[in-house]
Amino acid sequence: MAARPGGARVKGGCGLEFLFFLTRRVLWSFLVLVGLSMVIFTIARVVPGDPARMALGPRASQEQVADLRKSMGLDLPLAEQYARFVGGLAHGDLGASFLTKRSVNADISETFAATLELVIATIIIAFAIGVPLGVAAAHWKDGWADNCVRLFAILGAVTPSFFLALLLQVLAGYVLHVLPTTGRLPPDMAFQPDLTGLVVLDSIFRGRFDVLIEALRHLLLPALALAMATTGQIARITRSSMIDVAKQDYIEAARAFGIPTRVRLFKYMLRPSFVPPLTIMGLEFASLIGNAFVVELVFAWPGMAAYGVRTIMQKDLNAIMGVVMISGLFFVSANLLVDLIVGFVDPRVRIQGAR
Amino acid sequence: MGERLRRVLLAGCAAMPLAATGALADPVVVTMNTVQIFSTVDPAKISDYTDYMASVNLYDGLVNVDRKGNLVPELAEKWEFSADGKEVTFHIRPDAHFQDGTPVEASDVVYSVERLLRIKQGPSNLFADVLKPGSVTAVDPKTVKFALSKTFSPFLTTVPAIRVLNAKIVQANAGDDDGQTYLATHTAGAGPYKLKSWERGSQMTIERDPNYYRGWGEGPIDEVRWLITNNEATVRSLAASGELTMTSQFQAPDTYTALAKMDRFKIVADDTAVAFYLKLNTKVAPTDDVHIRRAIACATDYETVRKDILPGGELTTPLPKVFADYHYDAAAPKFDLDCAKAEIAKSKYAEQKPIAVSLIYVAGAKFEEDLALLMQAQLDQIGFKTTVQSEPWNRVTEVATKVETTPNIAEVFFGPTYPSPDSMFFTQYDSKAAGTWASMEWLKNPDIDKQIESARDSSDLGEQAKIYKNLQKDLIDLQPDVFLLTQRVQHAMDKCLDGYAYVPMQSFEYNMHKYKWTCKKG
Repeated sequence: MAARPGGARVKGGCGLEFLFFLTRRVLWSFLVLVGLSMVIFTIARVVPGDPARMALGPRASQEQVADLRKSMGLDLPLAEQYARFVGGLAHGDLGASFLTKRSVNADISETFAATLELVIATIIIAFAIGVPLGVAAAHWKDGWADNCVRLFAILGAVTPSFFLALLLQVLAGYVLHVLPTTGRLPPDMAFQPDLTGLVVLDSIFRGRFDVLIEALRHLLLPALALAMATTGQIARITRSSMIDVAKQDYIEAARAFGIPTRVRLFKYMLRPSFVPPLTIMGLEFASLIGNAFVVELVFAWPGMAAYGVRTIMQKDLNAIMGVVMISGLFFVSANLLVDLIVGFVDPRVRIQGAR
Repeated sequence: MGERLRRVLLAGCAAMPLAATGALADPVVVTMNTVQIFSTVDPAKISDYTDYMASVNLYDGLVNVDRKGNLVPELAEKWEFSADGKEVTFHIRPDAHFQDGTPVEASDVVYSVERLLRIKQGPSNLFADVLKPGSVTAVDPKTVKFALSKTFSPFLTTVPAIRVLNAKIVQANAGDDDGQTYLATHTAGAGPYKLKSWERGSQMTIERDPNYYRGWGEGPIDEVRWLITNNEATVRSLAASGELTMTSQFQAPDTYTALAKMDRFKIVADDTAVAFYLKLNTKVAPTDDVHIRRAIACATDYETVRKDILPGGELTTPLPKVFADYHYDAAAPKFDLDCAKAEIAKSKYAEQKPIAVSLIYVAGAKFEEDLALLMQAQLDQIGFKTTVQSEPWNRVTEVATKVETTPNIAEVFFGPTYPSPDSMFFTQYDSKAAGTWASMEWLKNPDIDKQIESARDSSDLGEQAKIYKNLQKDLIDLQPDVFLLTQRVQHAMDKCLDGYAYVPMQSFEYNMHKYKWTCKKG
């Protein structure tokens, strides 16, 4: 039952309207993906460079290039090429990569899991560090702790991730020799993450704790490098939200009633303040999928972001579309999921969605 | 140091309980970085330096190439030409076998070539004009004959590009794409190494085949790991931690300097057959005038380029000195602004002030930018107005396809695809090869074409040498390029690793069967 202004209750209205909301969101997401595919498809073919020449290498003859262009369908009108692409996509076939000479599906399934693992670790670190920092900053507002957190957040925002990646690599790998600086596992450790593609999870499922330790050691530096900016953002937003919530009457009432600070902070203030950081997480999660490439390149992390950059440089048309579509799909899905989580965390959103 | 110490400690701990039974030695692992991924290990599709690097270790060919560019036996123990030079017969050594133990037979060679011609990628362009389907036949299980459609004297030098496949395995897994899907992730060769693991974005590892038919010498390399990174800090970090044994040849000079200061490394340098040119478009103004081209050559500060911008050897003709038997002994070009001004005065653009020229270089290469700026400074002093533009490589390959979009001056590296002067001359200067990044001169000169064709038609080495020397003389006169330098490659290598020696065929110097570990293991 949903509550309307004036106290009238509507039986079943809340669920139906939320369903409409969800359906509308899914349809819009689909349209976004269609538009994205058209734009990127066109741009990829318009930018300079002959993909057939890039695929065959600099020594290929003109005849080889012409043959490959024909077999790739590059001599067809743009609309027909797009129709072929959509036809393949409908069957889940993203075509063949000119760069790796195998199916884009195979490339992405191998690389996406690596990026996903890195991004999940990044988000976990960002929340694990950012939220407590934000809470501390809000609690000790205008004190030294607050100033430190705000400085940290600014530094996180202005420091390029590649700079941090190089710094961590030099410190941890070159100077201190405490952590590995390339790859997901040591080259001599034979382990295939063929359950989920995530080495950390698969090693737990398989009971390979030696692999788990190495996977975490390899993951730490790239995840820290990538997490810096997001951590600062989470801390700032948590701080702002907590400060806003602190001004609410019910918080004042809780203080007056003598409810302990810890309970007041984490139960009554943090939960409603969690909505903005969660929203950010959805946007960040999706954008990290694409923006992780610098960190992936520095740490030789075999992820989809670095793969995507290589395919763009080589004008590998099918792979470019594959990476963009997967990233786009992730972006819209992540945002949809965040909306659902936000609705769960904050009942007011569910009620508003029902109106 | 950390990694080596760890190995020593681990080896020490392992040695104790095994001492009574005779300890197994630690495998010798060489880790090398590459600056780009391996696109494929399919011999019919290899195109770039990393593809060839893997291929020469995973697959063997009928013949191999030594450091002087001479052909040496590999799967074939001997070969002979027919009297007219249009047939070559190879005799496969009796003990040659694939990594699965099956003998290498003539039918495998036939299949490998036919498949290469069918797929029409990779090195197939080297054979498309001279081998037709059905022209390679198995005379008997150990004898294979190549019937060329025309005389092509450099043919033998292209044969190392044919990597022999185990036909039975590939045919059993051919699917509907001639085994391309299978060979994208598997190998079926007779090479000294097997594919152990391959993460396309980060690394490839190969391991020694102890049963390799040519056997192993002292100190073989048991495992080779190629880590894909072009990040200088990563390379230094790997070197400092003991993980890296050998760098790629594409590191920044600072990195070599830094590694040279580490006790563990030596810097190995070698002159190559790769030449660095300023390619001059002979069909657009003002570089369509030979005097303008000579002026640009005179205005080039060769010493500064070779000393300060990019270390390299002297290049006096279009053909690097590595091809000693064919090299024309010309005087080294000199930096002389007076000569440049005199040449401008003779040109049809003498009255034009300033004379506009365009110069492009590949984006991302600092030394190319430095060279472009140096040329701009020198040329603008003597009456030119130089427009400098950096372009990504894919844009360079695109502008090179039309004469009107090809700039006046382009900085380009070019090296032989096969160890023959023909590879240098045909691809760059023949009219049939015009329209690629390698032939931005648009020379289209019938006399030059005739000489290149004559050299191809002649099977007499003395006659060939005469033709090539005359060809170089004519090209110096025509000045379609500024001959800057021959590339000097450098590697930082562990002092215990020996065996690097440049071979004038793409990546053949990275055949790890030739390398050895000279220090005691463990």
